[in-house]
Formats: sequence, C-alpha cells, structure tokens
Amino acid sequence: MQTFKLSLLFIFSFTLAKAQTKISGVLKTTKGIAVANANISLKNSYDGASTDSTGRFAFTTTTTGAATLIYSALNFEKDSVQVNLDHGNLTLNLGIKEALNQLQTVSISAGSFIAGDGKKGAILSSLDIATIAGSRADIFAALQTLPGAQTSFSESGLFVRGGSASETKTYFDGMLVKSPFNATVPDQASRGRLSAFLFKGTSFSAGGYSAQYGQALSSALVLESTDLPEKTTTGISILSVGGGVDQNIRFKNSAITIGGYYYNLSPIYSLIKQQQDYVKAPESMGGNFQYKLKTSPTGMFKIYASYGRTNLSLYSANIDTPAVPKYFSNNNFNIYLNSTYKEYFGNSWKLETGIAYNKDKDAGLLTVNDYSRQDHLLEGKAIVTKSFGQLSNFKFGAETFNTGRLESLNGPARTYNDQISSGFAETDLFLTQKIVVRLGLRGEYSSYLQKYNLAPRSSLSFKTSAHAQVSFAYGRFYQNPEDEYLIIKPTDFEHADHYILKYEINTPNRNFRIEGYYKDYNRLTKIKDGNPDNSGSGYAKGFELFWRDKKSIKNADYWLSYSFLDTKRDFRDFPMMATPSFAAKHTVSVVYKHFIESLNTQFGGTYTFASGRPYVNPNNPVYLADKTQNFNSLSLNVSYLTHVLKQFSVLYLNINNVPGFNQVYGYKYSANGSNRQAIVPAAKRDFLIGILITIGDNTFVR
Amino acid sequence: MKTLMKSITLILVLISFRSFAQNSDPKFLQATKTGLELIATAKGAEDYLKAENHFERIATIATKEWLPSYYAAYCNLYAGYMTADKELKDQYWDKALLEIDKADALSANNSEIYALKGALQFMKMSVDPRTRMYLMGESAASLEKAAVLNPENPRIDLIKGQDIFYTPEAFGGGKAKAKSILESAVAKFTIFKPSNTINPNWGAEAAKALLAQCK
Repeated sequence: MQTFKLSLLFIFSFTLAKAQTKISGVLKTTKGIAVANANISLKNSYDGASTDSTGRFAFTTTTTGAATLIYSALNFEKDSVQVNLDHGNLTLNLGIKEALNQLQTVSISAGSFIAGDGKKGAILSSLDIATIAGSRADIFAALQTLPGAQTSFSESGLFVRGGSASETKTYFDGMLVKSPFNATVPDQASRGRLSAFLFKGTSFSAGGYSAQYGQALSSALVLESTDLPEKTTTGISILSVGGGVDQNIRFKNSAITIGGYYYNLSPIYSLIKQQQDYVKAPESMGGNFQYKLKTSPTGMFKIYASYGRTNLSLYSANIDTPAVPKYFSNNNFNIYLNSTYKEYFGNSWKLETGIAYNKDKDAGLLTVNDYSRQDHLLEGKAIVTKSFGQLSNFKFGAETFNTGRLESLNGPARTYNDQISSGFAETDLFLTQKIVVRLGLRGEYSSYLQKYNLAPRSSLSFKTSAHAQVSFAYGRFYQNPEDEYLIIKPTDFEHADHYILKYEINTPNRNFRIEGYYKDYNRLTKIKDGNPDNSGSGYAKGFELFWRDKKSIKNADYWLSYSFLDTKRDFRDFPMMATPSFAAKHTVSVVYKHFIESLNTQFGGTYTFASGRPYVNPNNPVYLADKTQNFNSLSLNVSYLTHVLKQFSVLYLNINNVPGFNQVYGYKYSANGSNRQAIVPAAKRDFLIGILITIGDNTFVR
Repeated sequence: MKTLMKSITLILVLISFRSFAQNSDPKFLQATKTGLELIATAKGAEDYLKAENHFERIATIATKEWLPSYYAAYCNLYAGYMTADKELKDQYWDKALLEIDKADALSANNSEIYALKGALQFMKMSVDPRTRMYLMGESAASLEKAAVLNPENPRIDLIKGQDIFYTPEAFGGGKAKAKSILESAVAKFTIFKPSNTINPNWGAEAAKALLAQCK
C-alpha cells in the first residue's frame, strides 16, 4: 500500500514539475502572404492557437518530447511539422500551400451553357429561364437570349451557330424528344411543348458535347426534370389565352402530379389583329401525368406522360393569285411518354436507364389537298458510370431508337422506318484539380441507311486562376438527314466537326465568357430534281461573348450576349454555297430583371438585335445575296407577387415588341418574281396576361 | 490484498472509461467550457473562427463526442453571418455542413443537430436564392425532423422565426408572420433546461431581441 501511495505522490509531483513550452511563430503562404485564422495544433493534445491577421500565433503546452505540429486553414492544404519540445521555447516559420476548393475545381465547359438549381457551373437558374421577358416561360425562346443561338420567329426551333433547327436535339432526362414543338402555323415559330417548370436543370450545348448524345449536328439541349415536389399543392393558371390546373400529391417517398390545360386563342385574336385570317384560331387541350418514386436514398424512378391536341385553320395571302387566299388547316395530336430509373451501387457505380415514346400526328387541308404526317420514336437507353479518384469517372452505355415517318397526300402514302443503335464510352479524367480531359467515342448503326459511323469526342479544360479557366473541345457529330428527305430514299449520315476554344471567368455574382469556334460540315443533304444525296457541305465560324452581373445594381440582375457568325453552306435546294436565311451575322441580346421589394414586383426587359438576314430574290442572279433590314425587339414583363383568397399568387403581364419595331424576317416572291411579300410576326405587338395561384403552400415556390 | 487492489484498479479503470463517454473527462469538459467562453465573448467573424479552430482541435482528440463538431459548425454559422463576402459565407457554411454531418454520425437522431443543420441549409439558400430554392425544402425537412425528435427544443422555433423574419413578405416571410413563432420560441426557452453544462443552450437572447423588433 505504501508503494502505491508513493507512486501516486511521484506521479503528482511529476505532473507539477512538467515544463511549459511556448510555441510561437508565423504562418505564410508559399508566396509569403500571411495566413489569418489558421488552426495550429499539437497532435493528440488540446493545445493550440489560431493565427491573427498577420499570420502570427503563440501558445504554451505541457507536452514534452517529440510531437507533431499540425496547421490547417480554409482553402489551404493541411500540413504538419515534427517538433521537439524538450529544448525550450520554439519559434517557427511555417509555410502552407493553397488548395483549390470545390468551386475552384476545373470543369468541362467548352460549348455548354448550364442553367440549373444547385448545379456546379450553372450560370442561370430554372427560375431565370422562366422569367425572361418576351419568352413567356418557353424554354426555347429563353435560350435565344444566350450566345450561340439565333433569334427566330418564323420557324420553330433553335438555330445554333449556323446550324438549321433540325441540327438541335432536345433530350428529356437523357432521352431524345422527337417532336418538342407545338403544332406550327406556316411562317410562325411555335412554343415548346414541355413546360419550363418541369425542369430543375437545363444544359444548352452549342457544340462539343458528350458522346452520350447522338443524332445532333449542332446542339444538344439537355433537360433534367425535377425530383419529388416538396408538398401537396394545387396550381391554377388563368391566362388571357386559356388556363390550366396541376395537382401535386406528395406521399412519403413518392409523388403524383396530374395536370390539364385548355387554350383558345380566338378571344385574344379578336383583340390583336393577326397577319393571317383565321377561320379557327388555335385551340388546344391536353393533360399530363407524372409519377416519381424514391426507390432508395439514392434511387429514383420517374414517369412522365402527356397527351395534347391542337386544331386550327386559316387563310393566308396568296402572292401569285391574291384573289384566292391559301387555305391551311391542321389537327395535331401528340403523345409523349418518358420513364427513367437511376440508382447508385456501392460508392462508385451508377446506373441510368430509360425508355421513351413519342408520337406526333398532323393532318389537315393544304389549299385543296389532304395531307397527313405521323412521326414516331421509341427509345431505350442504359448508361453505367464508374467514379474513381476524387472527381474522375468512366461511363459507357447503349441506346436504340426506332424512328420513322408515315405521310400521305390525297390518299397515296409513303413511309420509312429506321432502327438506329448506338454505343458509347467516355471518361472524364481529372489529371489534377486544375486539368480535366474528356475522351469519348460514339458508334452508331442505322438499319435504314445500312451504314455505320464512329464519332470521336474530346474536351480539355485548364484552370488558369481561382476563377478563370480555358477550355478546348474537338468532336465529330453525325446525324441522319431530315425525315422529309429520308422518306424519299435512304442516303448517308451528315456530319460536322467542331473546334471550340473558350475562356471564362466565373465568380458567384459575375460571369464573363468568350468562345470562338469553327465548324466544318460535310455530307449535308442536297436535293436535285426531287432526288436527295449527300453532296452538300458548309462551314460556320464565329465568336461569342457573354456577361452576367448580379451585383452592380442592387436587386437587379442582367446579362448580355453577343454572337458573331460567319457561315456558308450548300445544302437542300441551294444552287451554290451561300449564307442561309436563318443566319444573322451579329446577334445581341440584353436581359434585365429588377425586383422592387416594396412593390412585391419584378420588372423585366429583353432587348434583341440581329443584323439583316439573307433572303432569296429571284431577280438577283446571285443566290441569297439580298438582306433584310436589321431586327429589333424590346419585350417587357411584370410579375406581381400577391395573395388571392389567401393563396400565393403571381399576377403576370408580358408585352412583346413594346415600341412596335417593324420586324421583317424575309420575303416571299411570286412565281414570276414581280411581287413580293414580307414575312413578318403574326402581330406587331402581342401581350399575355395571367395569374398563377398556388394552393397549399405558404411560400413562393415557382 | 493483491486481488483487492486488482479489482479496485479495474473498477477505477471502468469508471474512468464510463465517465469519459459521459463527457465528464475533466480535460474535455474544461476545453469545451473554454470554447463556450470564446463564443460568449465573440464579437466578429474572426472571434468565431478562433472559437471554431478551438472546437476543431477538441474534435480531433475527443473523437467520440458530437459537441465539438456541433459547436465548430455553430461557430462557422456565425462567422458566415458576420462576413459580407458571399464566397466566404459559402465556404464557412459548406464547412459547417460537413461538421454537422460529422456530429450527426456520432449522435444519431439528435434534435439539436438537425435544428442547426436546418439553419445552415437556409443560410446556404439565402446566398443565392434564385438558384438554390431547393435548399428551402431541405431546410424545412431538417427542422421538421428536429421537431419530431424533440418538440420542446426552443432553437427550432428560433431558427424558423429568424428565417421568416428575414424573408421578404412577398415570398411568404415578414415580421408579422415571424411573431407567433418567435413568441413560441421565447416561451420554450423559459422552460428549457440543458441536460448538462456544455450541451447546447444558446438563443434565448436572440429570440427575445428578434421578437422585440416584431412589435
């Protein structure tokens, strides 16, 4: 017992006798800049200190012998040094290396423009897309304010970097959408069918996109649908052109959404004079159904199904025989089905599968001729992704489309059917946090063309500073000729090579990017005496600027895009190389949004300028040598947030072309070339007024 | 005698192990108290970062305790409040979210942890509401879980009240709406007793101060 007491005493006295060592010093970066608020600590002890604004620190410790001094700071790499505490006080000069944080990691970005909520590299949010003045919540109209896209109002679609509308493909959760646009009136662009509110992410790629996407020569528009809605809510929209109701029902791990709409443009057309003489103003109705199930913490199963119908008929001016206006009627019917399943396995494997079906049918009368056209697409797809290292991944997948068209004119019908099967593999390799390389390969086989293609894709990005990066991309892109040529006879794939160079600076509040590109088109479809072949070719080159600023003006946000385009092609029925009518040399758009809190109101404005576009003048021996006047447009919108019957509501007004600029898209000539008629918007000015009410939610969600 | 000594030693060892798990290890307790004093006297972002460093050091030693990571996250939340630079705010709060997840891994189904997580998610949203609207739902889910785990936790209502207080009326916020929730927070603070001297016991003053501004 005595020994026990003694040893206790010994231990106590030893503790008391422990020497205190003072450790002090300074922490600097490798460049000699003091690091403040760094954490200095001794391993396995509570002792330590923080550095002050000059990088200095000091603390005392009772630890003795050899020890490890650890130092760490936000945005720096944790480091340590061995010290010996038996030789009195220590003064240390420490150096620490800068680390890149996640925001500063390089990303693959050549050619692409990402909008999305919580997405890395996103420049716009899904709400930004929905609230652009003039776009009226149409995704395609909104994207026309971004660099690379042309403004269009006489043809549906996105015209990207000298490409025709058919060169841009739309993907819904990775699945190709064959008919993304509503029924079309001659010489007028129509809205996209898919509501901007369906999606949480939009990636608009003007070139150089992933090997995952095929059958697009110029551009891929990748839409990613939202996950489970937060709550059970009812959304009601009442617009000057009709209305809709959506019911969201939220269960614990799943949700159902059922929606329907009815639009009839005849009341508004009686107020706003239209170019065409409508017999029946467009009337459309439709419904959609969504089911989303969270199958596990990381798994998600989704179904989206929609059905829509549109009827319209009109007389338009007949330039050859003014006394007999042209009659046109259209009954459109569309079904779309998309079902996807995504799940992670282990820590590093991810599986994505999907199946989609699209059927679009148009029928009506063209002057005196009965026409009908039916397009279909059935697609199945599976992708496996393996992540490795911290950021890198390798993915491979396969997809197959069954697609085709059936058309008839006054009885006789013709059809074609194609099974396009493809496989791809791609890797995103982060050599360091500053350098990333993407290498991909895609192969396709078309049963109708009986031809193969093999497309290499590559991309390289390099971080030049904390906020800036340089990217380069090269890729080859293949696409089947358009349905209207394929139905005549099978020819061959068209292809384009893209070369892209981009520099960008991104901070949380400001974005600047400049991108230059060169596109080489080959084997474009030409038609001579009704006989298509692949003898066409072309090029497009140009550069684009983008600037967005959310900081300089309080409560305001604006962006500015400029596109310069130099393109010529020999395709379709062109007799020679020429700049196509959808290509303007200069395009500028400015989007401005201002929220005034005291009024609970957001004001928005969009100004668009496009230099004159070429048109065919049969009196000019040079093909497509005449140009229209410059295009100007200024649209305004106002959104007032309020309550209707205690439910959150948004009162919305949009006016297109407020100053009433004279807008000419091109000219149509009579057969003898002596008369011409301008192709102009359906109405000089246009407005939309509406109210959106959300029942069951006390916060503003849309 | 020898066996008695052995068993006493064994008992002593066992007691010390048990008490360590109940966070009455004197060194841990002292270090945590020192950290809480650093928080109590903190005036600006730098002071909170100093306290955060302190708790981070404790967390590396007391690897079984959830409080060091919890308080480190709390310090980062306040350092973010007191910083104007949005990018720095984001970095502090990203770090805080990692720390709160670490605390959650050590103490599952803890109402305090989910309350703080809800506050952090809301603040992350506030940095860029337009692109981060989805965080609103995540924050609401965390706070809801915190309330299920302990409906009497006064910090849940304080955080909810604070979020609504600073949200513009047009977006479903405003002082009038915040008032009843802050009143409930203040009422719950008067009854709330932490189970020991170092468990979370912050927010009573903030709730009163905010409520005063609602009148």
